[in-house]
Amino acid sequence: MIWVSSRWKILLMVAPAVVLFTMFVVYPVLYSVWFSFTKFQGFGTPEFIGFGNYAALGQDPFFWQALQNTVVILVVSLVLLIPLSFALALLLRRKIPGGGALRALVFGPAIIAPILAGLIWVFILDPKIGLINRLLAGIGVAPVQWIGGDTLTPYAISLVFIWSSIGFAMTIFYAGLQLLPGDVMEASALDGATGWQQLRFVTIPMMRETFAIVTVLLITNIFKIFELVYMLTGGGPVHRSETLVSYMYFVTFTNQQYGSGMAIAVIVTVLGAIVSAGYLALARRGRTA
Amino acid sequence: MSLPQTRGRSVRRIALAALTVGATLLSVAGCASAGGSGSTSSGGKTEISLSLQNPDVKTADPATWAIVQAFEKANPDITVKVSGEAVAEHLQKLSIAAQSDTLPDIFWVYKSTAEQMQQAGKLLDLAPVLDDLELTEHFPKSTISGFSSGKVIYGVPYQGLLTGLWYNKKILADNGLEVPVTFDDLLNVAKTLSAKGIPTISNGANQSSFSVWSFLVDLDRFGYQDKVKGLLDGSEKYSNPDFLRLYQHIAELREAGAFPTNVSTQTYQQAVDQFTSGKAAMLDAGVWASSAIQESQVGPDAGFWIGPQFDDGVGEQNIVMNVASAPFAVSHKVGDDKTKLAAVKKFLAFYYGDEAQQLLVDNGQPPVTDYEPQLDAEKQSVLKAALDASTAPGVTSPESQPDLLVSTAVASAMYDSIYGVIQNQLSPQQAVDLVQKALDAE
Repeated sequence: MIWVSSRWKILLMVAPAVVLFTMFVVYPVLYSVWFSFTKFQGFGTPEFIGFGNYAALGQDPFFWQALQNTVVILVVSLVLLIPLSFALALLLRRKIPGGGALRALVFGPAIIAPILAGLIWVFILDPKIGLINRLLAGIGVAPVQWIGGDTLTPYAISLVFIWSSIGFAMTIFYAGLQLLPGDVMEASALDGATGWQQLRFVTIPMMRETFAIVTVLLITNIFKIFELVYMLTGGGPVHRSETLVSYMYFVTFTNQQYGSGMAIAVIVTVLGAIVSAGYLALARRGRTA
Repeated sequence: MSLPQTRGRSVRRIALAALTVGATLLSVAGCASAGGSGSTSSGGKTEISLSLQNPDVKTADPATWAIVQAFEKANPDITVKVSGEAVAEHLQKLSIAAQSDTLPDIFWVYKSTAEQMQQAGKLLDLAPVLDDLELTEHFPKSTISGFSSGKVIYGVPYQGLLTGLWYNKKILADNGLEVPVTFDDLLNVAKTLSAKGIPTISNGANQSSFSVWSFLVDLDRFGYQDKVKGLLDGSEKYSNPDFLRLYQHIAELREAGAFPTNVSTQTYQQAVDQFTSGKAAMLDAGVWASSAIQESQVGPDAGFWIGPQFDDGVGEQNIVMNVASAPFAVSHKVGDDKTKLAAVKKFLAFYYGDEAQQLLVDNGQPPVTDYEPQLDAEKQSVLKAALDASTAPGVTSPESQPDLLVSTAVASAMYDSIYGVIQNQLSPQQAVDLVQKALDAE
């Protein structure tokens, strides 16, 4: 590989990727950051207002509600989704009849477009026409406002997100489990480790990287939840079930307040990066401890 | 591997890399230059673009579709390229197009956005065009003044906005009720029907927070038209005692069980379905719903009510919202191309001519000019009910729908405030304060 040994040739080779990345990722992101400091309706000349949009968001109760909902979805989803998907991967790793079909079934929701997943769940969770309340009515239980109320909606969204993501997370865990060296597992068994001890002291520590990947991917996906909210409640009632991204969409494209919308976009990006980086730092500290 | 061979291969690879970079840049340059279109299409016809707020214009807006078809038939040398998106996406595309100066030739747009575009010099002044076509006198004065800025006319009416409450005569009669006249009558209807599990007013807030037309008329029954100037210049508060009373009345309706229990998760279309399937006594909508109602099982029993009169209202109570909807605007670039300008003028002349106005009526829309339509009293009984109600003796109309007089953000806050009370998420005071806050942020 003599011809790629010089630096300028390497630079030349990476140039197309750098150009494209700069044009379609770096430039739009920086442009959005700039817009977040302006009052801009989408055309004409943006008016620079400094941190005015950020200050206004601080006074906007709907923004705080959207942030709170996003945090609720993040916590509920991570707390339930990671153990559940890992447990499923452990279960499906065993040689059980129809294991392949079961894996495909669990993965199924992951290939359904979120907008369709939302539509399906409207017919399950809707307080009036939804399947769950109809079943509950059959046993004499009063209807529950799963969606459309101001209490349960974020939890309902978490549930749907878990349903649609569990197959994806399970598949990554399953792939990780397949890569575990058999001799280590065998050695631990010879040393008399029980199934639980193998899981606790061998499997999980060796899967640390996989856990980190799944967690970061889920965090970024949770910060991008939009279609589920759009279909289930449209962000209502009165923005009570907005997530940060759905509220950003409302502010930017419905209200046509591009500067304010871009300020929310910047906050989403920063929060997503902080949470992901924070988790990775914790995971790294755990590995070196 | 010999050195000359390696050099030859490296030269080829470098050349390949250079080609790749070149091709990439060329494609990007190609993207940058795309956008504006000339006035002629490949068939030698003049092409004008018409961009609307419906993703499927043929199905969702049959009136405009029929007019375009008739226009192309009458003008074989002109092609109208119709495109459409849902409202938010449509506005998003317009913003991008306005920024890059590639607006469609003719497009639907909110009045407040059109005003901003006009101030930014993106729109064609239609005053000389309308004068030239002798159309100005055929529009209601309020339409022209509503779409004017000084002497500049930046928009022409897309369709009429005749809104109110459709009602099901059979449901009312079966429950021993009459069509209400006052708010107290309406409250009584709501209490009676609620006891039998029937929603009085079918509404749907999910993805359609704007579907509060009848309550926007009610704002005018509490003095909105007189107050709007003050609201915009800050000398009047939205959180005034008159508006607060209206919101308290909306809360009374909610407490009387007037709205569907799933109003939060139901879409506007589902609200229409609820009414057309005979499961709700009234539907908050406008004439655009007349075709769907006519074709449904409730068609023969459907009537149109202009809305309640309030004992504690402000000013005229016998009013109906019969105004121009959001306008059509024309890109300023059309004025730079004589051929295209001539085609656009022909289109506008046709659109506001008698043939197209009758097509509007045939497709369930009221005319937007002074044209007197021909109606089939049996086949178009639903539309006729609305038109009759709007022209009944003593009924007058405000000049514009309240949300069309404010910015998009304030209009959104108005919708949120009304649905907030309907869904018991906001108290009447919180609701009016929400709109006031949006006005303060302007």
